[in-house]
Amino acid sequence: MPRSPRAEADRRRRWWPWLLLAPGLIWLIGLYVLPLLGLVPLSLSEPVSRFGLETVFRGRVGNYAEVLQAYGPILVRSFGFALIATALGLVLAYPLAFAIRFHGGRWKSLLVGLVVLPSLTSYLVRAIAFTSLLGDSGPVLNLVASLGLTGWLDGLGVLRDGRLLNTPTAVILGLTNNLLPFLVLPLVVAMERIDPRLLEVADDLHAGPLRSFTQVVWPLSLPGLGAGILLSLIPAAGDVVNPKFLGGPNDRMIANAIETLLLVQLQAPRAAALTLVLMALITLAVLLQLRGRGVDDLPLP
Amino acid sequence: MTRAGGWLLGIWSALAYGLLYAPVVVTVLFSFNAPRGRFNLIWQGFTLENWRHPLRDQALTDAFLTSLGLSLAAALLALLLGGLMALALSRARVRGGRSIELLLALPLTNPEIVVATALLNLFVGIDLPRGPLTLVLSHSLFCLSYAALTLKARLAGFDPTLELAAQDLGATPLAAFRRVTLPLLVPGLLAATLLCFSLSFDDYVISSFTAGETVILPLYLAGAFQREISPQIQVLSTLVLLVSVAALLLASPRKGRL
Amino acid sequence: MSMPVSPRGRRAFLRRLAGGAAGAVVLPSLLQACGRGPGGSATSGGGDRGGELVISSFPLYIDPGQPGAPGSVERFRKDTGINLRYVEDVNDVRQFFARIRPQLASGQPLAQDLVVLTSWMAERLIRLGWVEPLPLAEVPNARHLIPSLRNPSWDLQQRFSLPWQTGIAGIAYNIKATGRELRSIDDLFDPKLKGRVSALLEMRDTMGLLMLADGKDISMPTWEAAQPSFDRLEKARRDGQIRRFTGNDYQNDLLAGNLAACIGWSGDVAQLALEQPDLRFLVPESGGMLWADLMLMPKGARHRQEAAQWMNWVYEPVEAARIAAAVQYISPVQGVREILAKDPATAALARNPLMFPDAATRQRLHIFGPLDDQEEARWEERFAQITEG
Repeated sequence: MPRSPRAEADRRRRWWPWLLLAPGLIWLIGLYVLPLLGLVPLSLSEPVSRFGLETVFRGRVGNYAEVLQAYGPILVRSFGFALIATALGLVLAYPLAFAIRFHGGRWKSLLVGLVVLPSLTSYLVRAIAFTSLLGDSGPVLNLVASLGLTGWLDGLGVLRDGRLLNTPTAVILGLTNNLLPFLVLPLVVAMERIDPRLLEVADDLHAGPLRSFTQVVWPLSLPGLGAGILLSLIPAAGDVVNPKFLGGPNDRMIANAIETLLLVQLQAPRAAALTLVLMALITLAVLLQLRGRGVDDLPLP
Repeated sequence: MTRAGGWLLGIWSALAYGLLYAPVVVTVLFSFNAPRGRFNLIWQGFTLENWRHPLRDQALTDAFLTSLGLSLAAALLALLLGGLMALALSRARVRGGRSIELLLALPLTNPEIVVATALLNLFVGIDLPRGPLTLVLSHSLFCLSYAALTLKARLAGFDPTLELAAQDLGATPLAAFRRVTLPLLVPGLLAATLLCFSLSFDDYVISSFTAGETVILPLYLAGAFQREISPQIQVLSTLVLLVSVAALLLASPRKGRL
Repeated sequence: MSMPVSPRGRRAFLRRLAGGAAGAVVLPSLLQACGRGPGGSATSGGGDRGGELVISSFPLYIDPGQPGAPGSVERFRKDTGINLRYVEDVNDVRQFFARIRPQLASGQPLAQDLVVLTSWMAERLIRLGWVEPLPLAEVPNARHLIPSLRNPSWDLQQRFSLPWQTGIAGIAYNIKATGRELRSIDDLFDPKLKGRVSALLEMRDTMGLLMLADGKDISMPTWEAAQPSFDRLEKARRDGQIRRFTGNDYQNDLLAGNLAACIGWSGDVAQLALEQPDLRFLVPESGGMLWADLMLMPKGARHRQEAAQWMNWVYEPVEAARIAAAVQYISPVQGVREILAKDPATAALARNPLMFPDAATRQRLHIFGPLDDQEEARWEERFAQITEG
């Protein structure tokens, strides 16, 4: 094939990337950007009739006031549950990541694989399993009872009247189960970048395990920590399944409310308003986390 | 680390694995349960009966097959669109490239319910009946970002001089790409396919908004609470788990990076 | 009268959606074209599925096939040669309505030729003009309909609907878990049962029972009369007395021992009692709710004649008896009881007061009266705040 003259090659170089980008961009704009922007006018509209599809734009800011008033507590609860689940997840995930990285030895890959493996069972099937596990006559409560802990856990608010299923605890356990891999993986990746010789040096300097941890491991694992928290908080705050199947009527989360508004109450404008509120809050959290860093720092599984 | 500390760390890690695996173990166990009645939620007794005809629950199997087809279509579509984007972003200095990457990353920062609401309003607004087409469209959308960004990361870590060298040796750019770049990309492509496929296969929220009358596995499972939790659900989940483990073992390179 | 969708509305939406960008309008219409294209299986709504009769109904609402003993669906296929697709996808009447609304509101036919929905929803669909008059001339067996269900309040001229099954909403409980016989709705609010009680998401059943317990007349329900019941329900939810609000899913909780008592439906409990003999069903002293699920033909249904054949077939008393024996609800077909009584295998069912309520029970059953559109919206909003807020 004859080589083209340089100028023509340059010209071609300018447009071919766009040719490759075009189909994907059409997808993103048509199915994401525009529908999302479409929620803005919708959230300021009113349905024309109770069962019809049309809405009219009325600049109805009141939709926001109404959903904030009606669903404010649920919004707070959603982020509360997500934060608790993430915190609980971290308490488990951080030591696990540490153990895998520094004591995993040749089993390291296997141990990481074992963290991902449960995700291959649908989270709905896992929710079904949790209803068996946490039920009133299920094994967990039996164990708690045989250890004589029922009263104590009830006092702590972990159990409600001796129950576990359809309580906040069940929702949080389900959420934590779902988000653990998203916490462990970025932590392991971050710790992987820590040169074990650094620890040896610290040891040689008689730093002691605690100091070498606080001076070496902890600061160097922070990027993974931030990434993991973000990756856990977002899906947890917007979860539908765990509150629906493991929670009770006082444990519903914001995505359940949006679903009901849209699919049961047929109030598309208010559903849109609530969706945008949720999105704004999440975006705020993401921006706080990224704080000027680029997309490359956005953690990906 | 002290011996006591080591033990503590070990026990703590076992606890974490315990929470991860409790529902999986229960699922596998209950595939061998002989339930009384319609809901396989209480342990009654061991049986192999459920495994004799793993696919005998017709409605469940149909939903499973529909899901397979949908997820395959969505993953491949996302891979195609995302692969092209990744190629352009990593190989050319596109003006606005950073903004495009940001655009790609944005859907990942939205809870699913946000995208679901937006898509439902779009489909209702343009009068596009919900069904297989809208499912493929919506699944390919959320897979697209994952595909594009993971593939871009792979391409970025790849030495472009190899391709140039091939061109110097007389290969056309296309041939150089096909003979040099593509083979090196295969593991990344496989990983991206698996990721997209499993994301789509497990998606409940967006599907429940965009499926219309089409019943895919996650929707079937969500409905099972109302209808019947047959042991075939646990059998099928165990099968999927086994197949995935096998696929992972086969797909993982001997000495893989983490 | 069908509700026309004003083109102005549609275009206005597109304009908003597009935010002025020209290309954006092209893409949606392109997508739309794809949806209608030759790969037309994508059109979930409408479309002639090769002469297939499609029926949507609630789960477990017909006799299932056993090996060697085909169920009604299969026998109908064989008897008539009609290709019937019977789909059990109505888990929640309201969500089902949300799913079919976009097509019906814009005048497109559904995939279904018949749907089985609860009477209040039937009333709504009839009012909206979203259902066809039934071809009752081709359903001679409709004459077997029991007299008390003729010309009902939701369909005064009996043009649009034919009952599928009727049943009772009352209290289901596990006598081992409660430790005593229950008598009234008040028992659900017994602090001893805290956290082990559920109520139905079906507003008319839950609210009807509560209002009856308050001594209110529910044949003409009013907003004011409902307030004490709403308040009571809200308080019980907040206090954790009520563990869940459910659709059919109270059944697994009842069997798993997570519920001691709940508001449930008679046929379900009759079926469940076969697995769990400690279960009881109670029509409270203050009264139980009588409801009806109806067959309806959505606007624009394609297979009207085949649908008529189905309705005629299931109204044949012998067939109706088979279905009744499986689902154990109150059959709307005359002669079912006699047929069940003749067969020793089903004779006990013929004596079941939940399937064939005696005069004393009948007296205690009530039908929830109509709510006009605005009233209904107000009720549903309050109820949703309590159950799903």
